[in-house]
Amino acid sequence: MNKRESLYLRYASNDLIKNKGVNTALIVILVLSAFLMATGAMVMERLIGSVDQLFDEAQPPHFLQMHKGDYDPDALERFAAEHPEIDAWLVEEMLGFDGAAIAWDRPETDESGDLADSLIDNLFVTQNREFDFLIDESGAIPEPSRGEVYVPVAYKQQFELRAGDELQVKTDSGTLDLRVEGFVRDSQMASSLSSATRFLISEDDFEELERSGGGAPEIIVEYLLTDAALIPDFQRAYESDESLPKNGQAVTYQMIRIINAFSDGLVAVALVFLSLLLIAIALLNARFVIRGKLEDEVREIGAMKAIGLPDKSIARLYLAKYSVMTLLACIVGGLLAVVATNLLTRGVQVNYAEAPVGAATVLVPVIGLALVYLFVIAICRRVLGRVRKIQVVNAMVHGSTLSDRQTARRAKRQARRVRRSGLASFRGRSVNGRLALLDIRADARQWILIPVVFFLVAVLITLPMNLLSTFESPRFVTYMGAPESDIRADLQFSEHVDRLRTEVLSDMREDDRLTDVRAFSNLLYEIEGEEGLETLRVEVGDYSGDTVEYLRGEPPESGQIALSVLNADKYGVSTGEEITVSLGGEATPVVVSGVYQDVTSGGHTAKMQGEVATDAAGYVIYADTVDGTDAAAVADDYGERFPAAAVIPMREYVQQTLSYVTGAFLSAAVLSLIFGIGVAVLITSLFLKLRLTSERRKMGTMSAIGFSTGEIITQVRLKTLVAVAVGTLAGVVFAATAGESLVGAFISLAGLGIADLSFIPNPLLVYAAYPLILIAAGYLGAVTLTAGLRGADKSSWLRG
Amino acid sequence: MTQADHVTLESRDLTKTYYSTDPPTQVLNGIDLSVREGEFLVVMGASGSGKSTLLYSVSGMDRPTGGSVLLEGRDLTSLSDKEASRVRLTTMGFVFQQAFFLNNLNIRDNILLPALKAAPKEKDAAIARVDALLERFGIAHVKQHGITQVSGGQLQRASICRALACEPSVLFADEPTGALNSSMSAEVMDALTDVHRAGTTVVMVTHDPACAARGDRVIYLRDGLLVDTRELGTWSEDEAGRREDDLFAWLRKKGF
Ligand SMILES: Nc1ncnc2c1ncn2[C@@H]1O[C@H](COP(=O)(O)OP(=O)(O)OP(=O)(O)O)[C@@H](O)[C@H]1O
Ligand SMILES: [Mg+2]
Repeated sequence: MNKRESLYLRYASNDLIKNKGVNTALIVILVLSAFLMATGAMVMERLIGSVDQLFDEAQPPHFLQMHKGDYDPDALERFAAEHPEIDAWLVEEMLGFDGAAIAWDRPETDESGDLADSLIDNLFVTQNREFDFLIDESGAIPEPSRGEVYVPVAYKQQFELRAGDELQVKTDSGTLDLRVEGFVRDSQMASSLSSATRFLISEDDFEELERSGGGAPEIIVEYLLTDAALIPDFQRAYESDESLPKNGQAVTYQMIRIINAFSDGLVAVALVFLSLLLIAIALLNARFVIRGKLEDEVREIGAMKAIGLPDKSIARLYLAKYSVMTLLACIVGGLLAVVATNLLTRGVQVNYAEAPVGAATVLVPVIGLALVYLFVIAICRRVLGRVRKIQVVNAMVHGSTLSDRQTARRAKRQARRVRRSGLASFRGRSVNGRLALLDIRADARQWILIPVVFFLVAVLITLPMNLLSTFESPRFVTYMGAPESDIRADLQFSEHVDRLRTEVLSDMREDDRLTDVRAFSNLLYEIEGEEGLETLRVEVGDYSGDTVEYLRGEPPESGQIALSVLNADKYGVSTGEEITVSLGGEATPVVVSGVYQDVTSGGHTAKMQGEVATDAAGYVIYADTVDGTDAAAVADDYGERFPAAAVIPMREYVQQTLSYVTGAFLSAAVLSLIFGIGVAVLITSLFLKLRLTSERRKMGTMSAIGFSTGEIITQVRLKTLVAVAVGTLAGVVFAATAGESLVGAFISLAGLGIADLSFIPNPLLVYAAYPLILIAAGYLGAVTLTAGLRGADKSSWLRG
Repeated sequence: MTQADHVTLESRDLTKTYYSTDPPTQVLNGIDLSVREGEFLVVMGASGSGKSTLLYSVSGMDRPTGGSVLLEGRDLTSLSDKEASRVRLTTMGFVFQQAFFLNNLNIRDNILLPALKAAPKEKDAAIARVDALLERFGIAHVKQHGITQVSGGQLQRASICRALACEPSVLFADEPTGALNSSMSAEVMDALTDVHRAGTTVVMVTHDPACAARGDRVIYLRDGLLVDTRELGTWSEDEAGRREDDLFAWLRKKGF
């Protein structure tokens, strides 16, 4: 080690020890940003890795179509023969059971229960031969023997099931007893978005289940193509062929992927955003600290310059210290991130697959950390560039970092200000308040840090919460293409669905707990698309007095059609234009009456006025409860009376449908609240720590004049409160105005079918509680920090 | 003169130890001091002997470790910080070696601050009083200036104005001329003498025998103990040279 290097090192380590408090706080900020950056990067990498791994093992289909009821197997054969791009295809038969029909017990401990709490479809299947495998926890493709069942891995956590537990499926003719052999991962239905999940059983048991009755038969037609790029064309071809089964959802490979990545990926994205924000804050801070430090040490710097040390060496001296700190922070943050990532991705690893560890696993977070390091160092360099401008005389005599010109300019500015400041002219009693305000105005360049940080934090904590409350609000259904109502009954296709509709509808209409009962039918129309006929899902019903929010136009009247945003875009039509749709070969021209947003059925829906009571692909009935009636109780009642109908309160429906998004938003909201408040307190404390150090003289002076320590503390707290409140309020206002369009743009990019989002905030929480909590947090930082001033020997403030 | 014998400020067995260092620094080791009303008392002693600490402890800025301080018979050490601050505001004034000012206020506002704080309702009276002070100490023409826009002498006179803004009964000055050249020094000493003549009790720390010669009495501190006192009697211009020589000889004996 040469002499110069050892000088740098000695300088850095001396300084670190001397200014413990300030340096610790700065390191904490740096560690936090490194930690978040690395965690965000790693979670993303792990998540993608896990999904990839599962896809490798399970080979999900490129295109799949769900269907209930009869279908024509010959049509499928013919279609397959006509399409050489099909690599493989299969029809998976499934038997759906309600969660309440599946019970479990554990012989050793006599514990037992059922899966009634699960609101999604439980489908029993056998293992596929060629692709779309269900994968067990070791990554193998299990083949259950008779009497064995593999349970979806999500239920392992949700119901705490274990291998060896007994599972009883209630059929129309007794129960089928199965033993839990293991758990399976499902590439199609792994994400929490999925409305169904698959149980794997043997062929024999499947046949027995089928014979016993009680299950709802359903099929998935699945295709594996030679090239994933052919999916859109293939989907179009499938949908335009009338003879093929298609009264359920159609899903493509891309959608499976996006959905899988989206539910947990959103958290990763939120983490990365969060860390970017923190890095911004950390950099602001680094700048502030380094500048403050330079001002503290100008005399030393002047002396160094006077003895002929070149500017570069002086700058390097300081840089050495910040490099050491940042490097340290990156290492610590990176290590913490490894731990955090393991915790955060545990769920992902269980539901999907153990992601393989590769070069990217290491590289991604390291690149993230390198970026943090470079950012911080670049900022330091910029600030240290000022060393060149420091003038020896100014530095040594006046302790100023400024050049003559700057000094003159600053003096002028100050003179102008003090001329006007006017203690003499102020009205009001509070000298302390007046002094605090004067100070904050005069030192605005320093104090600005606090409002900026609180602005960012306020935005950071408000936005996810607003999103969450919006997506959780019952009114949000208007975004989903559904009217605002209290109860929703979903009658999916079955042989007797028409009769079921009549019964439910007449019961509901006679029920005096319910009002405003409206029935809608799902019809599969055909429409001329870019390449031939395509299926158009149309909800037919009475739209007079419709509460769905229309982006443009109005609800359809007879002879009119309303389209979802995505459909309007797809067919390039706007309100007032005419399109032709056909049902059963009969073409009807209809005028587009309006455009609404919809998140159901992939966002591709339409609405027409009318009443169709037969031959629909399914029905939905909405009803309002009269005041004082519990929607949940009514729904339960109907659910019992009509087991084939899914009757649930609207609020629950929204929650279920959007649980994957709200879950992610909830995590984001909680995470950002915790981190945001933590950072706010940290920065406030760090700032005040520095500020109090450089204001010692001022405090000593005031004390000598006759201000009590209590009053001096009050002034500091008042200044903090003002700065914190200004930043917070600005942040809340921004989040409520510009933030909405910002998030709206982000959401519409996500292709959920929402083109225009307006928040449905929880005003008390977001616009009252949150700002108050944030302001209180900042104030608390000030209180803690200033409390130490009490009991100090005030003469020490004057001794410098 | 019975009035001269009236004790305004008194310390009894005053001790001060700073615990912020390791080991703790014992600075004052039991100081008994009586300051008579209207007296000009000068405190001298080697650097580090505890002069500044004495001023801070007596004025209540620092809490003494032991002993008591009586101002007009009232024990200041038993007061709360708030009460002690009020006493400092209304009955004491401070002048330091460096002019400690609030740099966000102009000269006049800095001086006005204690007056306004003491009686916010009597603003007009305070302003009138401050303007009179500015006039009296010859700095009225720079009252709107920022604190970096005046000379050191002017600034120190402004310090004296501020110290007098609440018409205190005691004025403390800690090396008020320590940072000034001799002509500015004389300006400031003239001002202090003026204050003293007007009836204010002055307690001044100084290293400069010429300045010290202005006092009525000089006390000498060594290692936190009051080791000697010298009565000089009332100062007059004509006797200045003799008083200085006399004082210098006394100080030489103390090892000054
Ligand atoms: N806050 C403090 N903590 C610890 N020690 C202190 C503190 N303040 C002063 N001292 C010590 O107390 C001693 C007396 O200091 P003081 O300032 O009273 O001396 P002084 O007589 O005024 O000296 P000078 O003539 O240099 O101003 C010194 O040794 C000093 O180091
Ligand atoms: Mg001193």
